[in-house]
Amino acid sequence: MKKFCLSVLILLGIMIAGCSNEAGSSDSASYPERQIELVVPFAAGGGVDLAARAVAEYLSKEWGQSIVVTNKTGGGGIVGAQYALKEAKPDGYTVLVNNNSSTTMYEAGTSNPTITSKDNKFVSRIAEASLTYAVKADAEWESFKEFSDWVKANPEELTWASVGPAGFSSFGVAEWLDSIGVDYKQTSMVSSEGASDSTAKVAGGHVILAVHNVGEVYSLAESGKIKVLAVQSSERSPLYPDVPTVEEEGFTSLKVKWWTGLSFAADVPDEIVEKWDEAVAKMEKDEDFIAELEKIKLEPSYLNSADFTKAVKEETELYTKLAETTGIRK
Amino acid sequence: MESILYLLHGFSEVLTPFNLLIVLLGSLLGTVVGVLPGLGPTSAIAILLPMTTILDPTQGIMMMAGIYYGSMYGGSTTAILMNIPGESSSVPTTLDGYPLAKMGKGGAALGVAAIGSFLAGSIGLIGLVLFAPILADQALKFGPPEYFTLMLIALLILFNMTGFSLAKSIIMGLFGFLISLVGIGISSGVPRFHFGFDALLGGFEMISIIIGLFAITEVLKGLEENRVRIKHEKIKNVYPNKDDMKKSMFPILRGSLLGFFLGILPGVSATITSFLSYDVEKKISKHPEKFGKGAIEGVAGPESANNATSSGGFIPLLALGIPASPPLAILLAALMIYGLTPGPVLFEQNSQMVWTVIASMFIGNIILLILNLPLIGLWAKLTEVPFGILGPIILMVSILGAYSVRNSMFDVVVAIIFGILGYFFHKYQWPIIPFVLCLVLGPKMESSFIQSLEISSGNWLIFFERPISLTLLLLAAVLIIVSIFLTKRTKKRIKQETGEHMEF
Repeated sequence: MKKFCLSVLILLGIMIAGCSNEAGSSDSASYPERQIELVVPFAAGGGVDLAARAVAEYLSKEWGQSIVVTNKTGGGGIVGAQYALKEAKPDGYTVLVNNNSSTTMYEAGTSNPTITSKDNKFVSRIAEASLTYAVKADAEWESFKEFSDWVKANPEELTWASVGPAGFSSFGVAEWLDSIGVDYKQTSMVSSEGASDSTAKVAGGHVILAVHNVGEVYSLAESGKIKVLAVQSSERSPLYPDVPTVEEEGFTSLKVKWWTGLSFAADVPDEIVEKWDEAVAKMEKDEDFIAELEKIKLEPSYLNSADFTKAVKEETELYTKLAETTGIRK
Repeated sequence: MESILYLLHGFSEVLTPFNLLIVLLGSLLGTVVGVLPGLGPTSAIAILLPMTTILDPTQGIMMMAGIYYGSMYGGSTTAILMNIPGESSSVPTTLDGYPLAKMGKGGAALGVAAIGSFLAGSIGLIGLVLFAPILADQALKFGPPEYFTLMLIALLILFNMTGFSLAKSIIMGLFGFLISLVGIGISSGVPRFHFGFDALLGGFEMISIIIGLFAITEVLKGLEENRVRIKHEKIKNVYPNKDDMKKSMFPILRGSLLGFFLGILPGVSATITSFLSYDVEKKISKHPEKFGKGAIEGVAGPESANNATSSGGFIPLLALGIPASPPLAILLAALMIYGLTPGPVLFEQNSQMVWTVIASMFIGNIILLILNLPLIGLWAKLTEVPFGILGPIILMVSILGAYSVRNSMFDVVVAIIFGILGYFFHKYQWPIIPFVLCLVLGPKMESSFIQSLEISSGNWLIFFERPISLTLLLLAAVLIIVSIFLTKRTKKRIKQETGEHMEF
């Protein structure tokens, strides 16, 4: 027994010594000195996840430090955001990979948001992607217009998947329903864990509509399990040359667009944020990185810290208005 | 046969130096922990899981699988040489294995166990290749209501299996659910049960609770029991002779088939099949009087059944996300850490990863076979490690593990608290398996339940109206009856053979 207690004490001593070593240094000039965690608040395989992995690959080579991507899903991205922005030490070694769902849309759509823009120190925007409307492959509608007419006639039959009540899909759907004069509250949202979950639910016939970005619906559309009705961009997407844009279908006021970017907890030193922004700016010009983004079906759309923060602010205002008129915010 | 192509590609992925090293390391580490007295597969996976999180998902899962079957194998070593079953599924192995060891044929028994495990693992693997794609093909048809009924049924069957009263199991299960609810709501994004503490907003980390319940509890139990060093029997010859092999051939084959086919059903654990196999061998043997006194068939059958059940259990785990036994429940938690939700969609979207892991299991089995026979002497030595050294090491690895998952001291405190709780659960005979199962499956069950009602606009009949869901419910009724029967039987047999109650 005595022997046991002694060995426990010795081992604990070693551990404590080990831990304090790590915590002692936080010199931003030599940053990064150890492994960095990129927190993805969505499921693996989604757009944010793939973008994060591309960033991790580039920057870990650039800095010679390993960067690991961890998926912390749930709560429409808030579980991961909570972890990265509030629970983790604000030492610059935990970075959040955001998108609209976990920032502007969450803030606009929730009456008492746990995480707001103020908790984020925005670093840079990485990429954008257009939104698509997808239904099951053998669904009865041949065009987006036909589908919209059906929804106008049967709003209470429409089910659509969304990551959280105030997620990306919710705003896409709300804006579209608003434009065709359908009451958002008559349709039913089905909560989903991420784009891959939503599209699988549509392909299986459990949910009627999935609204996600071009890349996220690609694999199931390619294998013929779901059908893309329209792409929300000014020009046709090279991924779906045969699919018309919403404008071609006669919808001119639809603006919701997907983006992903990086942010830190509010207390992270500015020097580290600048270091990241510089590295990201360089990365966005790198041919390999651009090719990588193309592979995962995203368009590079770099914004520096100041512009990104401003864009987020404007988007929050726009979406708050939308949330109030359609009833996303309860 | 697309799956064969995938499997071949899987093999080519595994046969790279680094991946081979991972598989080797996993199966060796698993064997080491499995050999340590009192630590079975469940604790082995729980203790070693955090170490794998630094790897890529595929490699991490390959290593976890290695740890799993390595520890199963390690468990049979202690069962044969020292009469200590690391997990209840090794109880039948002790019945004839230990007498064999006393007769100086411990080596032959271990050899037959290793060969049996290997053949059973391979048969299980062939089964996986044949059956998994069939299930995966049906993948997309499984919607939230189907998932919910499936999980509910699996839980009920597993509850019945713990060997404790159903009421106690349900209470512990509900406690597990309650813990899983803490944090930010899955579909609402609203925090709940955090009582104003920021640390609780992110919810409890499954792994720290599992480490507490399985590893730290084990240390506390060891302290109390004041484990004495048990002398193991001497090993003379490791390799079974021709006669041993001839006698074992058919028991191995029967055990493998029995174990695999029953193992596919949720709720049939390795304990159930290993006892069944032991009894079958005894019944059809020409010399039933030899059983219990050192019959090699009594080692060959149960050991093969045991291992075939484990690989059979991977089918419901990977294809449906339903763990058939406690160690698989912890593997499920491991998959979730990597952001991989097992279930039909896993085969659809990560098929290459799944097949690489399956191929790695096959190669891992070969590695175990090659390494274990010559290393049996070393494993036997390991069983002599005194608890005064072992306990602190387990404690240290546990605390490091709990900390490393999210780098949080809060998780370490949680692990310690649940370690103490686990000790009391054990002492006052409350089953922890239902608690762990509900903790792991809770979030998924909650979201499929909410999604089902969202789809049906609040109509509860959705669980009965859909054909697959209804079929599942009907099948469940049959399965539950079978499971109650098998559990009663196994409970009785354990009591007969060991004179104690065991969770299995």
